[in-house]
Amino acid sequence: MRTLVLLLLFTLNLLAQPIRVDHANVELISEVKSIVPGQSFWVAFKVDHDEHWHTYWRNAGDAGIPTKIKWDVPAGFKAGNIQWPFPERIMLADVANFGFENELVLPVEISPPSDLIIRTNVTLNASATWLICKEECLPGEAELSLSLPVSNEILFNEKWVDKFTATREKLPLKNHDWKTSLDELTRSTISIRVQSFTQSNSNLGEIWFYPYQPGFIKNSSDQLIEQTENGFLISIGLEDFIVEQPDTLSGILVSENGWRGENTERAIEITVPISNVEQGISNTEGEGFSIWLALLFAFLGGMILNLMPCVLPVLSIKILGFVQQSGEDKSKIVQHGVLFTVGVVASFLILAGLLLILRAGGEQLGWGFQLQSPLFLIILSVLLLLFALSLFGVFEIGTSAGNIGGKIENRGGNIGAIMSGVAATVLATPCTAPFMGSALGFAITQPVFVTLSVFAFLALGMAFPYLLLSIFPQWLRFIPKPGNWMNTLKQFMGFLLLATIIWLAWVLGIQAGSDAITGLMGALLLAGLAAWIYGKWGSVLNKTGTRITASVTAISLVIASVTAANSFIPEEPLSNTTIKKSNSTLPWEKFSQEKVDKLVAEGEKVFIDFTAAWCLSCQVNEKVVLNTQEVVNKFAELNVVPLKADWTSRDPEITKALAKFGRNSVPLYVLYDSEGNVTKLPEILTPGIVLDALEKL
Amino acid sequence: MKKIFSFVSMLLTLASLTSLFAADKAEIDKPAPNFTLTDSNGNEHSLSDFEGKYVVLEWINFDCPFVKKHYDGDNMQMLQKKYTEKDVVWLAICSSAEGKQGYFDNDEINKRIADHNAAMTGYLIDESGEVGKMYAAKTTPHMYIIDMEGVLVYAGGIDDRKSTSIADIKGATNYVSQALDELLAEKEVSVKVSSPYGCSVKYKN
Repeated sequence: MRTLVLLLLFTLNLLAQPIRVDHANVELISEVKSIVPGQSFWVAFKVDHDEHWHTYWRNAGDAGIPTKIKWDVPAGFKAGNIQWPFPERIMLADVANFGFENELVLPVEISPPSDLIIRTNVTLNASATWLICKEECLPGEAELSLSLPVSNEILFNEKWVDKFTATREKLPLKNHDWKTSLDELTRSTISIRVQSFTQSNSNLGEIWFYPYQPGFIKNSSDQLIEQTENGFLISIGLEDFIVEQPDTLSGILVSENGWRGENTERAIEITVPISNVEQGISNTEGEGFSIWLALLFAFLGGMILNLMPCVLPVLSIKILGFVQQSGEDKSKIVQHGVLFTVGVVASFLILAGLLLILRAGGEQLGWGFQLQSPLFLIILSVLLLLFALSLFGVFEIGTSAGNIGGKIENRGGNIGAIMSGVAATVLATPCTAPFMGSALGFAITQPVFVTLSVFAFLALGMAFPYLLLSIFPQWLRFIPKPGNWMNTLKQFMGFLLLATIIWLAWVLGIQAGSDAITGLMGALLLAGLAAWIYGKWGSVLNKTGTRITASVTAISLVIASVTAANSFIPEEPLSNTTIKKSNSTLPWEKFSQEKVDKLVAEGEKVFIDFTAAWCLSCQVNEKVVLNTQEVVNKFAELNVVPLKADWTSRDPEITKALAKFGRNSVPLYVLYDSEGNVTKLPEILTPGIVLDALEKL
Repeated sequence: MKKIFSFVSMLLTLASLTSLFAADKAEIDKPAPNFTLTDSNGNEHSLSDFEGKYVVLEWINFDCPFVKKHYDGDNMQMLQKKYTEKDVVWLAICSSAEGKQGYFDNDEINKRIADHNAAMTGYLIDESGEVGKMYAAKTTPHMYIIDMEGVLVYAGGIDDRKSTSIADIKGATNYVSQALDELLAEKEVSVKVSSPYGCSVKYKN
């Protein structure tokens, strides 16, 4: 009889067909086929938009209004707020809206009272209102209802479970350890500093901030993303007419590819206090300092270039040339010095420009010139080694430096002065190339403006002594005489480049693990061998045949070294984690309160993972943190018993346990020490967090 | 890095500023940019013609449900009558591009004005969208008030109930009549900006 009643009720329920409204079908759906007294469950307002039609998010953007649901539920029932999945931007000419096209599921949690009678039937009524637009708009409304039988167990509705799961993946993650702060607020823009997960995905794709409040952020504004050391800066234009500057700016950040790699959370909720501007200012200064420092170093580096064997002789000759050429006319000499500087700066900027064009081309081809790319790190390290070896004299780059002084033409006139600046730059290349190459390597990872500035300052630094000496030609006598000391200095500079490789190796180790470092070492060895071969048999002193063979061998070796090292990089770049992915898993045991009580009473250390198949963060945490070799080893080492509380089908025992820890949602991670003291871990785990917590037991 | 970032945003701001020199931009408490448009009877009107008078700008699209709410509910016409009688100039501006919703020929416009018994001073046609963009008009309706010195003193919604339901007109705070009453009483406008609501303005793509 009972079965018959239930069957009848199910049938009634299944009869609830979508309602056809203007340009959409709407329907009230439930994740469950039966409900249990006192246990909350999820229903949703489902909208199937006709093609190109859309309804709106909680902040509709420039136009439109958000969808609203008014509930009429039996006494004792509580209906929660709509849980909004992240929207998409819908641009109509200059007007930017936030909304949804195609299929939309807006979930709402329903909490029934605990005194429901089994085998009765409850009806939930909802009246929904919305605005549906393509170009033109139509208001819509519908009265919807849903009947569900009360039972002593929750039965999931296979028809809709997947829809709910898919929608949960689009809900913004609210509990996380991201830090956000105001960086700068001007009349027309706001910059927010975001410190993201320690394990962030290096390929986030497009990032977009959707504000909750209307009337502050300009919805149609471009959003500039600037990578920082441990996150990024996002800069957004403000509304033309600001209604009111809020105390806090909240909203969601959406990443195109998932914040922790593919198939991970795409939306994350952030709140930024924007009253505290002072903090933003101090940030600005701290960051600003480093760019000025970089430019200062570029300038100093440029000056040091003058001490290289192939540059210093040129310096005296050039200045003497100026002086002779202009006779005693001081202003003429200064003018020459300035024009020479212009020539040097211009040639450096042209070089930088070529580099930028190359970079733009590379980006189109999908090359990432980023320090995050292990391949790029390897190439850069190999180049640095080659440059260092060149400084050590293992081999020479380009023409011999011997007779450069004589090559600079002392052509008269202003053009002549500029050209001699260009010529000096070009002819000094054999000595400057190693440094220029290194500077190029780093500058290529920087924004256009930084690249250009660094090069300009390098050039200014190089031209500075010329300029100074053209103003004070009498200072020429203070210039050290060229001599063997310059070769010593050159060789010493080689060690600076080698030191840089250590740093790159460290970065590579963090990204790709110790195997990759071994690969890098091998690559460096091969590259060193290549340099030696080229130096020994590839120079002008050898026969043409020998030289060609040596050059080909050297180049092949360098290419082979990089290729070989690259094969040591794990297939899936680990972004910034230090943990290698492995198939190891913790020896999970099934959770029961009884088991926990027993283990704790026995003085065992216990870890409980409250999880669910539909909880995206739970899955990601398990995959990239809990089931990693390091964590698994630590569990074994410390004898921690891992228990898994799988709440996929809302087990009442787990619900109760969650409530005990003041929670009604997953993920939740709880650790008991041998005295039975409890530590709760954050919802977004990193290997560091887990290992630290285990250490403290 | 921050410095570069602000430099870039500064460049962007500069770039947008230069584009604004061509077409001025409306700002609260600043002189409202002038414009000249033709009304539905073929007469030209410039904002500067109305110096010494309060001017209301109403972005309009007769087929938008939010505009319908205020016309079918007799709210907009009532305001137009009430304030034009007090020598306020009321200009409805339609920035719908040709072929888009809300764009009509003059006969149709005048028929609709008559049907609704509307009482705007003029219904101006801005099919290029230039004036709409100058005032950053986003929705229909989107309301602006310019004082006797030609200064923009209000920009935003018509009221604070964002809906298409006529029932919501009663009980809403009407920002436009509030601001006009304050101006006519020689008081400072208390709410100068509010967030507009409505359909998107159907600009040319």
